[in-house]
Amino acid sequence: MTKPGRTIVLIAEAVILVFALLYFGMRFTSNSAVEYSNSLEHFKYGSTGGEILAGIPYSVWMTLPRIFNLPGGRYESFGFIYEAGKDLPIGVSKRRYQGIDRVSFNCAICHYGSVRDTPDSKPVLIAGMPSNTVDLRAFYQFLFDAAKDQRFSAALVLSEDKAMGIHEDFINRQIIRYYAVMAMQSFMITYSQRLNFIMSEPPFGPGRIDTFSPAKALLNFPTSPDKMPENERIGTTDFPSIWNQRKREGMWLHWDGNNNDVAERNRSAAYGTGAYPPTLDRPNMQRIMNWLLDEARPPKYPYPINAALAARGKTVYDQLCDGCHGPDGVNFAPNYKELGKVTPIADIGTDRHRLDSYTLPLAMNQSLLYAGTKDPNERFRHFRKTYGYANMPLDGIWLRSPYLHNGSVPTLHDLFEASANRPKTFYRGDDVYDPIRVGFKSNSPERNGRKLFLLETTCAVSKDCEGNGNQGHEGKNYGTELPQADKDALVEYLKTF
Amino acid sequence: MLNLSPVWKRRLLTLLVVVVVVGAVLGFTVWYKFFRQVDDGPFATAEERFLYGSIDAENTAGLPYWIWVALPQVFPDLLPGNGQGGYRAFGVPWEQGHEMPTGFTKKIIGFPRVANNCAICHTTTYRTRADEAPKIVAAGPNHTFNVQAMLRFLTACAADPRFNADTLLAVITQQTKLSFIDKLAYRYLLIPRTRDALLQRSGQLAWMNRPHWPDWGVGRDDPMNLTKYFLTNLPWDSSVGNADFPSIWNIGLREGKNLNWGGETPAPISVIIDSALGLQADPKTVVETSKWLLSYLTAKRAPKYPFPVDPILAAKGKILYDAQCASCHATGSPRVGTVIPIQEIGTDPNRLDTWTQEAADKANAAVAKLGIQRVGLIKTNGYQAVPLDGIWIRGPYLHNGSVANLRELLEPVENRSKVFYRGYDVYDPVNVGFDTQSADAIRLGFKFDIGIKGNGNQGHLYGTTLSAEDKSALIEYMKTIGPAEGE
Repeated sequence: MTKPGRTIVLIAEAVILVFALLYFGMRFTSNSAVEYSNSLEHFKYGSTGGEILAGIPYSVWMTLPRIFNLPGGRYESFGFIYEAGKDLPIGVSKRRYQGIDRVSFNCAICHYGSVRDTPDSKPVLIAGMPSNTVDLRAFYQFLFDAAKDQRFSAALVLSEDKAMGIHEDFINRQIIRYYAVMAMQSFMITYSQRLNFIMSEPPFGPGRIDTFSPAKALLNFPTSPDKMPENERIGTTDFPSIWNQRKREGMWLHWDGNNNDVAERNRSAAYGTGAYPPTLDRPNMQRIMNWLLDEARPPKYPYPINAALAARGKTVYDQLCDGCHGPDGVNFAPNYKELGKVTPIADIGTDRHRLDSYTLPLAMNQSLLYAGTKDPNERFRHFRKTYGYANMPLDGIWLRSPYLHNGSVPTLHDLFEASANRPKTFYRGDDVYDPIRVGFKSNSPERNGRKLFLLETTCAVSKDCEGNGNQGHEGKNYGTELPQADKDALVEYLKTF
Repeated sequence: MLNLSPVWKRRLLTLLVVVVVVGAVLGFTVWYKFFRQVDDGPFATAEERFLYGSIDAENTAGLPYWIWVALPQVFPDLLPGNGQGGYRAFGVPWEQGHEMPTGFTKKIIGFPRVANNCAICHTTTYRTRADEAPKIVAAGPNHTFNVQAMLRFLTACAADPRFNADTLLAVITQQTKLSFIDKLAYRYLLIPRTRDALLQRSGQLAWMNRPHWPDWGVGRDDPMNLTKYFLTNLPWDSSVGNADFPSIWNIGLREGKNLNWGGETPAPISVIIDSALGLQADPKTVVETSKWLLSYLTAKRAPKYPFPVDPILAAKGKILYDAQCASCHATGSPRVGTVIPIQEIGTDPNRLDTWTQEAADKANAAVAKLGIQRVGLIKTNGYQAVPLDGIWIRGPYLHNGSVANLRELLEPVENRSKVFYRGYDVYDPVNVGFDTQSADAIRLGFKFDIGIKGNGNQGHLYGTTLSAEDKSALIEYMKTIGPAEGE
């Protein structure tokens, strides 16, 4: 070759090299979440940053239900809610990180519910209410089982990708084929071992989770049965509603009232979405938080309310409930009487498993979380071990069925019965509303093909009752000894919250 | 002088400037990343400084902060199996919401490092009921803390194959974003060097890990053997001197008296200096630090008894106390703070026998060699009669913590518990001491057996022949012995 020719080739090579470096550099440092300008859409599908350390490759997420023959080829059987035209259910976010689309959960997975009048009517989806249909533990069990299953292979993921029309480019196909699936399998197996003690608790069913055992797993506390006291093992709780957070600032939050800082509580909850101190997407999280503080509101009760009866119920409420639960569903604020404070377990008398599962050593160790971030104010400093359950505001209480911290009482009508007369077993996870008893229907074992969960409050049927006790919040001070007419009036009034 | 062309002169000059600038940047980076000292104060209160303030032990004994954070998360299987997680498994007092447990300091020397201060052994927690947050009392005996278990944990981590950069950094990077340089520093410098330092420490502590050797258990260490084996080259002997951490408030009472259970140290400042050196405080600053500690501890008072006291019964008890106990224990009495001969006091002699004149001479020489002037250690033949301010919270009792509570202390030896559980912080106002027998005390506590060498509960038989009524009166008075805070 002539000298100028060689020079041209050299220059061309250099240019290609520079572009290749630039391309791969940009590709593998990419980190961008799918953004939503609307704050509600952002709450539903926006990212907390969980995909970075705990994400599942989009291709794997999409193809797993088909590989394992889940009904409809999606995750609806776990109660996940899909909106028309969306590939991901509410509560699942997407981010491109290091060139690969990954998905993870966000806040909406536990705080977005569904309500309908009849089995055949179209469900109304409500942001900020407890995810009454979502069975997260069953989903995790599915993932852990899948990780160990031979059918979960890169080859199948790629062929299902093709069948579904999901396009991964050549490089990502190689990454999936030779790395991503294997890495996910080994991550899931390690993770499942760490969470083993949670998975061996009595089943939660839809709408419930153990909130603080995962924090023990995060800090890798010794959790083997010989090291963890039996009474600290079970922490089953209902997903709460998360409306009106501004008015809750300064109250003791979580069921046992173990934290009085809304922002810190949110960072703590973000761990559940896979977002860690170095990966938390702070601007996105702030948007979610702003929405929770000032925009998230419960919807009005959609069925008729007997105004006269409700007015009578208000007098009962003002006498009996107002001291702990605030004046009504709107005008509550911290420092109102006992609202937002903790009622000792001996007084409230409800199932104490959840209380005991949150321990003093855990509260102490949580002080180290977020110690290593740029903003020193992010470090956790508000967690406290308590010895009772917190008095909650009752905004949107009609949508927060089943009741009590462990969701052991299906309806408001049942709540005002003494525990002996409350249902011993019932089905959780239905989204058909029962305006007579005020709460979700709880007597059907399935809903439109989705199996519901039989909750046992006592051990009459099997041994899966621990943590499900429906006792407590009863007696003279709690309305269970009122005349029936007063109870009916009180329930009527609570519909207005 | 070389005769260079102007071109070469310019080139050389440029080179020189480049070398100097690069050198300065490099030097600054190394200084900034590894040597830059940032004061950990000021603290809002003197108590905060006592609980969390550095005594400059971070340079020699400090663990890199993120390694310190990661270890219990990487090695939960090496923690004591009491079901508690993190450093709490060792029984450290830890204010909820506070970053560090009491007695742990965090100071930046290039990078954040964690070491200990005096509060590690001298902070008490107590609860009046199981369902309340522990109250923290600075300068009291840390009866819940198992220092030996912590030392063993740290060295066991270092000896474990999981103590490597990959494993530790995987945990660390979930909690903080390390810069590229910091990651390199952790991987190639801090993690391997910390491992080596901990392994070296395990060599220094091998004497306490001899087979079938009695454990210190919670609230105790082997103070004079620690002093002996750290400061002198004396060979291991068979002595066992496990002794309770003492309270160190109102230390001014001890001026001119003997300190340490055996009275081996004749001056408060010397005890403070030696203890700080034991935590590997910097010899260059230790005297100044110790002077501050002395002033803080001189002003510090015991906490008030938190339950009701029957004043009439206590008044009756005071008469008994004045007659039976005051001559050795009351402030200003002739024998307080002096050594009572072992033949007279009759308590377990093992602790006394750990110390010798030879050890005292060699230890004094070693401290003098560090350039530190202090009143030296001596050899005695008994145990000192301690002042009893705040005695209600200083259980278990006697120098080796072998008597569960004050009620048992007034019983003859055969009626004192032979086995009980130390380290649970719920108070027992009936027996006046900590709860040592409930299910939670057993689950969380350390089993104390008087049959083990050094744990004998004999001796100090004073008051054991009083009537039951008189004993109750005496105990009622003892709840009030101060001066307490505000008195």
